[in-house]
Amino acid sequence: MDIQLSGIVIISGNYGSGKTEIAVNLAACRKLQGTDVRIADLDLVNPYFRTREARKQLAELGIEVVLPPEQYMQADLPILSRSISGLIRHPAALTILDVGGNDVGAAVLAALADAFGTKDYQMLQVVNPFRPLTQTIDGAVKMRRDIEKTSKLNVTGLIGNANLIDESTPETILSGYDFIRKLSEETGLPLEFITVPAHLLTALELEHFSCPILPIKRQLVPPWKKLVRLKEF
Amino acid sequence: MSKVLMKGNEAIGEAAIRAGCLNYFAYPITPQSEVAEYLSHRMPEVNGVFLQGESEVAVGYMIFGAAACGARVMTTSSSPGISLMSEALSYIACAQCPAVFVNIMRGGPGLGGILPSQGDYFQATKGGGHGDYRLLVLAPASVQEAVEMVMMAFPLAEKYRNPVMIMGDGLIGQMMEPVFFPDHLKTEQLNTDSWATSGMKIRGSNTRNLVKSLYLDPIQLNNHNLHLKAKYDRMKVEEIRFEPYNIESDYKVLIVSYGTMSRVCRTAIDNLKAEGLEVGMIRPQTLFPFPEATIRDAASKESCQTVISIEMSMGQMVEDVERSVRGRKPVEWYGKCGGEVPTPEEIMEVVHSFVKSARKEQN
Repeated sequence: MDIQLSGIVIISGNYGSGKTEIAVNLAACRKLQGTDVRIADLDLVNPYFRTREARKQLAELGIEVVLPPEQYMQADLPILSRSISGLIRHPAALTILDVGGNDVGAAVLAALADAFGTKDYQMLQVVNPFRPLTQTIDGAVKMRRDIEKTSKLNVTGLIGNANLIDESTPETILSGYDFIRKLSEETGLPLEFITVPAHLLTALELEHFSCPILPIKRQLVPPWKKLVRLKEF
Repeated sequence: MSKVLMKGNEAIGEAAIRAGCLNYFAYPITPQSEVAEYLSHRMPEVNGVFLQGESEVAVGYMIFGAAACGARVMTTSSSPGISLMSEALSYIACAQCPAVFVNIMRGGPGLGGILPSQGDYFQATKGGGHGDYRLLVLAPASVQEAVEMVMMAFPLAEKYRNPVMIMGDGLIGQMMEPVFFPDHLKTEQLNTDSWATSGMKIRGSNTRNLVKSLYLDPIQLNNHNLHLKAKYDRMKVEEIRFEPYNIESDYKVLIVSYGTMSRVCRTAIDNLKAEGLEVGMIRPQTLFPFPEATIRDAASKESCQTVISIEMSMGQMVEDVERSVRGRKPVEWYGKCGGEVPTPEEIMEVVHSFVKSARKEQN
């Protein structure tokens, strides 16, 4: 089952839910399937992790990456690149907007309201039920409402991203899948896809899942770990 | 024991609550602001108090005040903020009040940068504030260890009636790792009746307690300092913590490294082992008291040619390593402090180059 997303796709969620990891992996996955992909980083909340290496890889794959200017990369400042509104007005086949965490991070979207105009978009909420604020259905719904309130956009679908990083097991994925399906049922929001760490794919019976799966090759790794090349999808 | 995925800063906040700390005062600064953000909504849920001070100077004395009243209290900050709190730290240590300070270090000196650093080693272990005082300094290398150290810090602070500092570099605060909160680390607060200014009625006492750091009589002040010194000497006996790595091998090089820097070194040590070069490591978990005897013994091993202190600073811990080794083996230093964390490859190269120069000297 392939992921069918197209047009403008906004990746939102609480911070630490895995938005950037998903945005980067989704971009690479779709590009390698032959889709024209652009990706923009709208994370104004956390300038701490600069995923330069991952972004270099995306550029190598022929994906257009919109970032703040190089000289401001280390600044402790919220920077929104001017080219973002152009990107929204003239989207590629798939345009991924990686938004900052929580309602605070999503506030930037309200500032882009003019660019969105009447454009169609999908805003997906990333949910990892192993993160403190989204361990319950109520918590995940509250997070969605907060994001919708500040972004002035509506969440249109869900991404299940159950993981404990290096300590993820098949059980993590399975219990997370049950959670996200329940969230989908209770909110009426479609489940667009779930993620599975690439190395766990063979340990799971994939027919168990009735939604597409995005394999994740971790790109936001600490300095003592090597990131997996995205090209090897 | 179910695990959750937490950012270091969130985990530090939650650990304080799980340890029974219901008083948290702070002033935001990157890269630790999420502790305050997290506790600003968590503290009210457990009937605790979160107060943002108007500056770190104010926060330092809010901590002093709460601690003097016998409350379990914590603050978190990052390097420049800790500088501003250092005066209060000296007062709190002199007045013998227990309190927990967390420093999620960023690059310095001055305003510096916001990326990880270990440049506050001297500040934490040798003073920062004035006078002859010490902090018990714990240095976590993972988010889980940060949780455990925060939970341990409260009873340690109470045992010695002295501030305890948790020293994490920016990565400890910012990275996400799975954690759990060990119930057995939740402790009952020690009775504060003999010293805290909690009110005579509450204590059922007829005498006032006085918390102070003023001793105008020179003999009294000297005696007070001797009393404080005895506590610090006791820490040196009872509180030294460290983790050895690959120390059973016939290592040619001994690395001393702490915090996340030690995790980079671990990867380098594994890679070097695969290449056929054995390297051992001692990771101090307490920076004060420092595991002097352990490092001296490890350096004394016959196979060991060189000791390297690897730190995200321009050579601070290396002075304690030299002091520990007492000239038995050459002690070298390698470090970086702009915020870039050295890579395992870089460390491997450094080890190789020191092995080479040691060989040259032998010939």
